[in-house]
Amino acid sequence: MAVSLSSIGHKTWRTVASIQTGVVLLILVVILAAVGTIVLQRPVTEPDEMRTAYSPQTLRILDAVGLTDVFHTWWFLGLVLLVSFSIVAASIDRFPNSWRYFSRPYKYPDESFRRAQHPQKLVPIADEESGLVAAERALHELGFKPERVVREDHFGIFAERHRISELAVYIVHASLLLIFFGTVVDGLWGWRATLNLDEGQTSNVVELHDGSTRTLPFAIRCDSAGQENYQDGSPKKWWSKLAVVKDGRDVQTKEIVVNDPLLYSGVRFYQSSYGPNGKVDKLALIAAPNDGSGQKQEIGLALNDTASLDSDTTVRFAEFFPDFAVRDGQVYRKSNYLENPAAHLVVTSKKAGKDFDVWIPQLDEVADNSKAPYLFQATDLKMGHFTGLQVSHEPGQWGVWSGVVLMGIGLAFVFYVVHMRFWMVPVRDPQTGKCSLWIGGTANRNRDAFEQRFKDLVALVEKDLKAVPASVSNPQVVTVAGN
Amino acid sequence: MARAKVEQQQPATGMTLIVLVGLAIAFLLFMAFLNVVKSGNLLNETNLLFATLIFYAGAGALYLGFGVTGIPSYLKFASFSTCLGLIANTAAIAHRWYESGHAPFSSVYEMLLSFVWTLAVLTLVAEKKYDVKVIGTVTMPVAIVGVVLMQLLRTEVHPLVPALQSTWLHVHVTLAMLAYAACALSFALAMMFLIQDNLKTETVLAVTSASTIAIYASIVLTRFEKWGGLNLVAWNPESKSEVFLSRGVRLFVVVPDLGWLLTLTLLVVASPLVFYGLARLKTGESEKQSFLTLANRAVFLSILLQAMTLVMFILRARDGRYPSLDADGLFPTTLAASPFILSGLVGGAFISLLYLLLLWRRPDLERSLPSADNLDRITYKTICLAFPLLTLMIASGAYWANQTWGSYWSWDPKETWAAITWLVYALYLHMRITRGWRGRRAAYFAIFGFVVVMFTFFGVTYLLPGLHAYA
Repeated sequence: MAVSLSSIGHKTWRTVASIQTGVVLLILVVILAAVGTIVLQRPVTEPDEMRTAYSPQTLRILDAVGLTDVFHTWWFLGLVLLVSFSIVAASIDRFPNSWRYFSRPYKYPDESFRRAQHPQKLVPIADEESGLVAAERALHELGFKPERVVREDHFGIFAERHRISELAVYIVHASLLLIFFGTVVDGLWGWRATLNLDEGQTSNVVELHDGSTRTLPFAIRCDSAGQENYQDGSPKKWWSKLAVVKDGRDVQTKEIVVNDPLLYSGVRFYQSSYGPNGKVDKLALIAAPNDGSGQKQEIGLALNDTASLDSDTTVRFAEFFPDFAVRDGQVYRKSNYLENPAAHLVVTSKKAGKDFDVWIPQLDEVADNSKAPYLFQATDLKMGHFTGLQVSHEPGQWGVWSGVVLMGIGLAFVFYVVHMRFWMVPVRDPQTGKCSLWIGGTANRNRDAFEQRFKDLVALVEKDLKAVPASVSNPQVVTVAGN
Repeated sequence: MARAKVEQQQPATGMTLIVLVGLAIAFLLFMAFLNVVKSGNLLNETNLLFATLIFYAGAGALYLGFGVTGIPSYLKFASFSTCLGLIANTAAIAHRWYESGHAPFSSVYEMLLSFVWTLAVLTLVAEKKYDVKVIGTVTMPVAIVGVVLMQLLRTEVHPLVPALQSTWLHVHVTLAMLAYAACALSFALAMMFLIQDNLKTETVLAVTSASTIAIYASIVLTRFEKWGGLNLVAWNPESKSEVFLSRGVRLFVVVPDLGWLLTLTLLVVASPLVFYGLARLKTGESEKQSFLTLANRAVFLSILLQAMTLVMFILRARDGRYPSLDADGLFPTTLAASPFILSGLVGGAFISLLYLLLLWRRPDLERSLPSADNLDRITYKTICLAFPLLTLMIASGAYWANQTWGSYWSWDPKETWAAITWLVYALYLHMRITRGWRGRRAAYFAIFGFVVVMFTFFGVTYLLPGLHAYA
């Protein structure tokens, strides 16, 4: 047996297009995906957690074969590509047959077809024409559009419904490919990033998830942001008022909330978190002269603001710690949360030519507040907030969504739209010369329900045939019979 | 042999069970009424859930009774009881919805509420439309376990965190519940097909025994502590949550002696499989039969022991303070801290009971079921319903994720397992349509599909970490 190139090609094609290949590939995808949910995955796990979960050796092996990031390895991508190939090949392999079926419907059943057909029924009729007329009427009644098929030596009736159902499975396969295509486009050209903005801040640089940054051709400004709480204190709503700034102009503004992003030239900005940025917005103080003379006065300071208390003395808001700790006479910032705040004021007296450090609260290790010419009491503290935004650019998502819609339609056709066909042929018994109507029908799915429908049709035809003698004077029937 | 014994028994009189179930329901309703008088509040959720439980339990008993005796009047009352339970269930959902102001899909508790509801609806549909009468024998106990779990997992109405405030979430979870309930139904139908298809009772015995072994072995292997204790998760009654030592590390308490009891039960539930294996090895017909009889007796014994284990577990783990190996002092635990073990124990006993039912009443069961061909076709039709629902569920979930996190697919375990479920059912459809898989192979496939669904539903939430953590 000579192995020619074309036969190898043919065999390869048969293998790729076969259902077995598809099934094996899908089973592989299932197994590997399951492994990817059991082994901890690098992109969503802290490195520390990985190290405590696996021994260094195991981790090295897992990393080497890519099991710690299954869904981004070349072999998983390759497998998905192979599945796509298999779907395409299987569809191409089977499509011509289905297309022939679809484009050139089989309208006149020959004798061998009639013999094998199920269900079928013979109904006695007076003559060909009256039988066909009755059949047409019955089909009309069931909502079909019967068609007369006239050939040189024979004639009959053909009626069908939902021929598109034969192609539905290709719609589903095409939609799956469309979804794959969309995700691949996103994988190649899409990106995701985060952007934290303080209220009032403008930025056009976002941080990608791998730690690098990306500069956008426009900037985003956060005008204000906030949180609404339930009564029990858990967050109910986060919102941010954002503006898109391009060439120094506001081109778009929107108040975004979780689940309702801002979209500008293909880039989406999602509300994902909100919290204190550890910066003070305004500190309200009451200042009273240290010697007990003079008036108390209320002042409000932002960070680095200076206010004059009298002609000689000014106060500057020098430092702020939302959550402080003191060690060795130094003040440190423990966190950005407003747990244990401390403010550093600097009081300058021109007369004394000297600066006094004042800390609220009093920090004995650091400075002595009582030396300053004024005593301060904090009455209110307004903190600044940041809004946490997710930024994403997914040019392929339209492929994904149209694929999803197409798949919904395709599946509805696959499962619930039945291609039904009926044939009716008048036949004469060669011996007795008696005339009868042969009725046959097929459906491509849900055959038990179809058999009931077939019986209904036959009953309708029979009823119609019985009614005909009473209306013999019907002119249409008479003229037709006259032919 | 067992079958011969059954033939001799007199058929039970029809009224006995109905009267008994009726009396039980009346008694429980009376108790509930006393409770209502005391609290002065009729339509609260606890009462509604209690009523749901009563009616479903009554329906379950009657369905079982119908399965055992084949007396049609049981079925009428069972359907009636299911309807009443469904009304109470609907009211409980409505109450929850009204109280929380959002559709009840935001926690395991609320999803179970919807799942049980869907299951009851589908049971009635299957019974009335497709004439699958004894389907309730399988689905009602599942519903009862669901309601009992709900009582344990009962949570206060939690406000929704911002990410969950979306219509798409409701669409997504509704579709998920519908799809999973349809899968559960296809599973029950496939099981019935196997019975109608003359699957050997011994094979069922082996599978039953193997599944109970798997349940007990997994508990014993992961939770057995030295000196025969059993590790359970510590529970903080104030915050109604598990106690964590650090992120992701739970604090376990050791309940003494339960470990021994579970090990003993493991040995006993394993014995039927051993006897079955011996029977397979023997060539002589009489020896074979005697080993099978032994195996059946062992199943009976294992049910008694399983019931005892369950009672002991509930008594010891319901409340009380126990020492821990990781921290000093005594810590409380509760049943809600171990929903998995509890479901496992209940499930094991339930599987064994179903086997016993099959063993004793097989001819009656076969009479009251539709033909194997019909069951095969209805199983397929149910999957034809489940598959588009699964597709839409995944699609709506992706759309929601895209609205919330800016990414429609992030390969988190729940998503991945949903995709795996979808692929498994896609394989089923391809095998059936293109390769002509019918009958037994298709039934096994449908059962496997449901196992995957269960893992996606429960396993992923409890075993694997991910974005769906708050579900």
